[in-house]
Amino acid sequence: MKRFLAVTLGILTAIGGFVDIGDLVANGETGARFGMRLAWVVVVGVLGICLYAEMSGRVAAVSGRPVFDLVRERLGARVALANLAGSYLVTLLTLSAEIGGVALAIQLATSVHYLLWVPIAAFVLWVVLWKVKFEPMERVFGLAGLALVVFVVALIALDPPWGQLGDQIANPVPPATEDWATYGFFAVALFAAAMTPYEVFFFSSGGVEEKWTRRDLVISRVNVFIGFPLGGVLSLAVMGCAAVVYEPLGVHVDTLGQTALPVAMAVGKLGLVVVILGFFAATFGAALETGLSAGYTVAQYFGWQWGKLVRPRQAARFHTVVLISVLLGVALLLTTADPIAITEYSLVFSAVALPLTYLPILIVANDRDYLGDHVNSPFTNVLGVTYLVIILVVAVAAVPLMIVTGMGS
Amino acid sequence: MTDKPLRVDFDLLDRQIVDLDGYLVGKVDDIEFGTAADGRPVVAAILVGHHALGRRIGGVLGRWMAAVARRLHTTGDPQPLRIPFERVAKIGSALWLDVRHELLDTPALELWLRDNVIGRIPGASDAGQ
Repeated sequence: MKRFLAVTLGILTAIGGFVDIGDLVANGETGARFGMRLAWVVVVGVLGICLYAEMSGRVAAVSGRPVFDLVRERLGARVALANLAGSYLVTLLTLSAEIGGVALAIQLATSVHYLLWVPIAAFVLWVVLWKVKFEPMERVFGLAGLALVVFVVALIALDPPWGQLGDQIANPVPPATEDWATYGFFAVALFAAAMTPYEVFFFSSGGVEEKWTRRDLVISRVNVFIGFPLGGVLSLAVMGCAAVVYEPLGVHVDTLGQTALPVAMAVGKLGLVVVILGFFAATFGAALETGLSAGYTVAQYFGWQWGKLVRPRQAARFHTVVLISVLLGVALLLTTADPIAITEYSLVFSAVALPLTYLPILIVANDRDYLGDHVNSPFTNVLGVTYLVIILVVAVAAVPLMIVTGMGS
Repeated sequence: MTDKPLRVDFDLLDRQIVDLDGYLVGKVDDIEFGTAADGRPVVAAILVGHHALGRRIGGVLGRWMAAVARRLHTTGDPQPLRIPFERVAKIGSALWLDVRHELLDTPALELWLRDNVIGRIPGASDAGQ
């Protein structure tokens, strides 16, 4: 059982990347507009995050150094500060969106306006971040997030025209109703969501919090190769459900309720209960991931004591950053900014953060001072460099595509 | 330490400093050089703190960071934390000291936040996991 539960860090990390509030709606929207013609991007993204999360987990297990330590150490104080600014803003905007997402999930269940739930959701979130130990936190929300597997069940129960979905997967070009620019924008958004930098910050720092050593390399790998593909499957299932139900009708998806509807149609009331529970767990889990990551990045840049292993008063600066981040997130939501639009804007900051996060991981994963005999194999390096090129292209393309397509509208 | 020459920029600057118990002390924000008896320059101490970091980053942002650090002080004489190089026991993926962090000055920001913000929240002294 203990061995089985050891993978919850990977699952929770992946949920924050693949099925957080922005992605739940964006995957629904992608499915409704493009069918499964963008499914390949999720697969490319899963491979990329597996590759780099494995490297970061390996560095954390062997040397005890989390990702932002490597960023500062390899890029120097100045460039790392640029990365810190970009990464912190991505993480903060996502944290804000997730708090909104938790509130939206409760709104689905209660019909009480989400803004009323925002302060309550944020307070409960902060109490969990303050009080609950790392392992129970990761287990409860990692496992509860698995409720989203109901999307896979729903997709099968909908009994879709599999051949047609297969054709769409095999023909990755925009449908007649869309142009290449919007296709490109959604591809970039899906890829950036899969490789979002707070995943490696959280995963490697979580490894340090769980006191991984050289002996835990297998646990680290199992986490990576079960967690992230699972996140990818959930994300594809959400996309598939929307493709089957909405694409033939040409319906536009832009709310959480619409994302849930195919499940209600296929599995009924009970399915709806499970899906709302899944939404709650996934957004709350993503909020925990981003809330902690906000603290991790700042503390690790400056070298402060961080984490939930020590008494909060021994890591006063770290806990202050977490607290302020949650408050800023709430303040942003209370301006009535749309939680789902917020995650799309965080793409802009990914452009800075993505290359400056993954390059140092790749360099250190080849450093024998850190890893001894566990440095990258040549094969891993070829893949790593290939993905770094893809990441650079995505980072450069993100902002122009966003402007040209007006956020893909 | 190995026989490999120690490169200040590569092996020292911006690395994490860890105390005897694994507590995270800070980053190597700057280096202080001294002169050995035979006139060769040697690393005398490592400097930790936003003053040192701000000076090294330079520009408007660096000046601002150093200015904030100068205002945050408990002693009236704000200085970066200075750790003599002899206290460094091992250099690898981090710098391990041979002392406990209690013997070093606690940074002013940490102290102030502990006493005025985090320390006042119920549960601040509960043990971690």
